[in-house]
Amino acid sequence: MSRIGVYVCHCGENIAGAVDVEEVRKYAETLPGVVVARDYLFMCSDPGQELIKQDIRDGLVDRVVVAACTPRTHEPIFRKAVENGGLNKYFFEMANIRDQDSWPHWHDREGATAKAKKLVASAVAKVALLEPLEDRYVDVTRSSLVIGGGVAGMFAALDLANMGYKVYLVEKNPSIGGNMAKLDKTFPTNDCSACILTPIMVQVGTHPNIELLTYSEVESVEGSIGNFKVKVRKKQTYVDWDRCTGCGDCVEACPARVPNEFNEGMDKRKAIYIEFPQAVPKRAVLDIEHCINCAKRAIGTEPRIHSKTGEPILAPCEKACKTGACDRSKPYNPDGEIMELSVGTIIVATGYKVMDKTPFKEYSPQSPNVITAMQLERILSATGPTEGELRRPSDGEKPRTIVFISCVGSRDKNHHTYCSKVCCMYMLKEARLIKEKYPNINIYIFFIDVRTAGKDFEEYYNYCRGLGIKMIRGRVGAVDELAGDRLRVRAYDVDLGVPVELEADLVVLATAIEPAPGLEELGRKLGITCGSEGFMKELHTKLYPVETPVKGIYIAGCAQGPKDIPESVSQARAASSAAAVPLAMGRVLVEPLISEVDQEKCSGCGICVPLCPYLAISMVEYREKPLSRINEALCAGCGVCAAACPSGAITLHGYTSAQIHAQIEALTAGIGGGANV
Amino acid sequence: MSSAQAASLVINLTDSEPGFADEIKELGGEELLECIQCAKCAAACPMVLAGFSFFNKRIIQAILLGLREVLLDDSSIWACQSCNRCTEVCPREVNPFEIIQAMRRVAVREFALPTMSIEGLKSLYDTGHAVYLAGAGNTRAKVGLPEKPPSTVAYPEALKELQAIMRKTALADLGIIPMNGFGVADTCEV
Ligand SMILES: Cc1cc2nc3c(=O)[nH]c(=O)nc-3n(C[C@H](O)[C@H](O)[C@H](O)COP(=O)(O)OP(=O)(O)OC[C@H]3O[C@@H](n4cnc5c(N)ncnc54)[C@H](O)[C@@H]3O)c2cc1C
Ligand code: SF4
Ligand code: SF4
Ligand code: SF4
Ligand code: SF4
Repeated sequence: MSRIGVYVCHCGENIAGAVDVEEVRKYAETLPGVVVARDYLFMCSDPGQELIKQDIRDGLVDRVVVAACTPRTHEPIFRKAVENGGLNKYFFEMANIRDQDSWPHWHDREGATAKAKKLVASAVAKVALLEPLEDRYVDVTRSSLVIGGGVAGMFAALDLANMGYKVYLVEKNPSIGGNMAKLDKTFPTNDCSACILTPIMVQVGTHPNIELLTYSEVESVEGSIGNFKVKVRKKQTYVDWDRCTGCGDCVEACPARVPNEFNEGMDKRKAIYIEFPQAVPKRAVLDIEHCINCAKRAIGTEPRIHSKTGEPILAPCEKACKTGACDRSKPYNPDGEIMELSVGTIIVATGYKVMDKTPFKEYSPQSPNVITAMQLERILSATGPTEGELRRPSDGEKPRTIVFISCVGSRDKNHHTYCSKVCCMYMLKEARLIKEKYPNINIYIFFIDVRTAGKDFEEYYNYCRGLGIKMIRGRVGAVDELAGDRLRVRAYDVDLGVPVELEADLVVLATAIEPAPGLEELGRKLGITCGSEGFMKELHTKLYPVETPVKGIYIAGCAQGPKDIPESVSQARAASSAAAVPLAMGRVLVEPLISEVDQEKCSGCGICVPLCPYLAISMVEYREKPLSRINEALCAGCGVCAAACPSGAITLHGYTSAQIHAQIEALTAGIGGGANV
Repeated sequence: MSSAQAASLVINLTDSEPGFADEIKELGGEELLECIQCAKCAAACPMVLAGFSFFNKRIIQAILLGLREVLLDDSSIWACQSCNRCTEVCPREVNPFEIIQAMRRVAVREFALPTMSIEGLKSLYDTGHAVYLAGAGNTRAKVGLPEKPPSTVAYPEALKELQAIMRKTALADLGIIPMNGFGVADTCEV
């Protein structure tokens, strides 16, 4: 018979404020196998842990239950205490009477106390049946994968590379740089975005430890911390990048025009194109969907021969290319190439996309003079469609009155309920850049709240007000098109308490920041679910802000939620150091809480194989019979297979059927229409 | 409410005066653009309690938006009690009271001032008191005070000095008080 010790924690007032701790303690003493039950103000404190250790040393107890907070943060602490006391650390069970009891039932002392008793009884029932388990370690592949080459991904990659680890940087676009590459100047210091970003891009592009995989996407991820196997698809560029020098001659020659994504659709690029002038790597890609196959030069076909000259008839791009990189006769595989990478840790830095204007019918999105703030960034940028000249899209005239509308699609139940966090500041920035250059342009910013909570941001805001930028509290209700390409803006000035309207030449919508397209799918490949807003969820908002529920996978930048550059960079550098820890340690602990197949019981039905989300199960031939086998390194201990096996052949250590049944029985004792009532 | 009436409630910012804020700054409201519309001044202002439609915060927002005509059509600015509470409490050192003074300067230049104020200014020029009770002499004597208070009323030289100062102000340019140093009552007509 085991000798169980139960330790009930007050957690200051967190538990004791809603649960009668003494009653729970007394009740615990009555449970089968319990030899001692104590309570303490903070069980996780040194003296609290000492209570447990002393009872073990005194030979009083050989199983331990702590009724306290969440095992997510505190289980490791108590396991350690149990181990230091001299027991196998898996002879321990936690009852969460705080997060699952006192907090949600704060105003029901009686109910909360009754529930605490049940939770304790259930933990006691389980702990009696626990078996000793041994920790294992696996060696770590000392390399990392960073997904997304925006400013966050680049900094994460650079840090890891500078620490001496091999880094693969996968970026879906032809060039790294991300959204920051599109910005003109950047708050709060107004330095030119390209000027501060280009050197970083070049460092990333030339770092000996970084393998840049642009125009690539992650296909699949297998394995676990320390040993991930990642398949990456290098999309087909139809240009030989080993030869391409990025001279742009093919681009010049190409006649096919396509809306230019980099300039937010405000001008055209060619079918063969270089993403932007500072692109890294500076290489051309062919957008095969929009290529019109000039001179009937479909990819992978031999050129026709000119009847008179006897020369091959080439497409303009090929003809222009001096290096032979643009050879259309090659039999390119449209699916590109699959690369297999082995990495120890992964950082997700896939960033964001801004909402398009079309859903906002009340703001006349059909008007070319209603634009998004990202489009204005491109208009202000020297590499943009107007080469930095402030001109309105409809007729190229310089606007005299500009209206900014905040929170478009943010703080809005029809779209996104969250605050996009950066728009207040970038609206002020864009308004300021314009006002400093053209003091006579009238600028109005309509806002709900001005949120400028960052270092030096309030000063920035006050400076902008000082420039005479007119701030009006009140969400714009309507933008109507008027003759002469003008727009009528209607709103209610909350400060004056009157409806106002005005005519503008350009209306700028601060549209919401959304997760990058495909983030949810990427999450599925990685085994991480996104939060309700679609961004990747961190493990713990305060304590583990760059970790995810999957060990070895970290997040940084706007993939986790809207944020500005300073924050994205700080988070990237935090993620890189977190991701470096397992690489530096060289081996990682694998908890023995994993599943095992009893080959005597396995019928070979194979039901478990497709159910495992970590692809850890395979069928192996054993005495001429297929039997299921679980790869220890891959198993995450989720228990899906154990629950599904019709033969009861799979045991999840630490959560055996007997243990779980004992818990359920303890929890349901006295409930329902059965004999117990 | 008819739609015509409703439409007239709407303030059209396109008709606003872009240079209005600068004008107010030049006339003494230097810190105008520092205002962040927090409304702390309004919370301290007796004009708000008395129900005036434009008071410190609202006057400032109207100026920031260039609503010169709107403010000239309203007499609230003359209701400021000069108590200076707003200036005391403003967290951004805007000095709202000075802005109201500046707005009054604008209004005076446009003759957009109520008759009461003209009377007051005239009386100030004539007697040195904005409000002077001419028949108060007897009452004063009854309670043992000198018939004339010890002010410009008792000291004609002081009144002359005051009048000289006032003639140097825009009030004289505007004809609200006489331009030259002649007698008082015969020239003062507004
Ligand atoms: C109009 C506007 C103006 C702004 N102005 C400022 C400013 O002045 N100052 C400031 O501090 N902040 C500003 N910001 C915010 C700033 O843009 C972001 O903080 C910053 O770009 C975030 O960087 P990131 O690396 O997290 O994301 P991103 O820049 O979005 O980079 C993500 C990268 O990941 C790639 N990617 C996405 N999905 C995948 C995938 N599945 N596989 C591979 N790659 C993928 C993308 O192609 C992209 O290159 C502004 C934002 C907007 C909208
Ligand atoms: S064949 Fe070459 S030049 Fe012609 S559209 Fe395609 S990429 Fe452009
Ligand atoms: S940052 Fe400002 S504009 Fe953007 S959603 Fe938040 S409050 Fe609205
Ligand atoms: S004047 Fe000062 S107190 Fe009044 S609203 Fe402006 S900032 Fe606030
Ligand atoms: S000085 Fe005028 S505006 Fe300021 S609080 Fe007093 S009455 Fe109001």
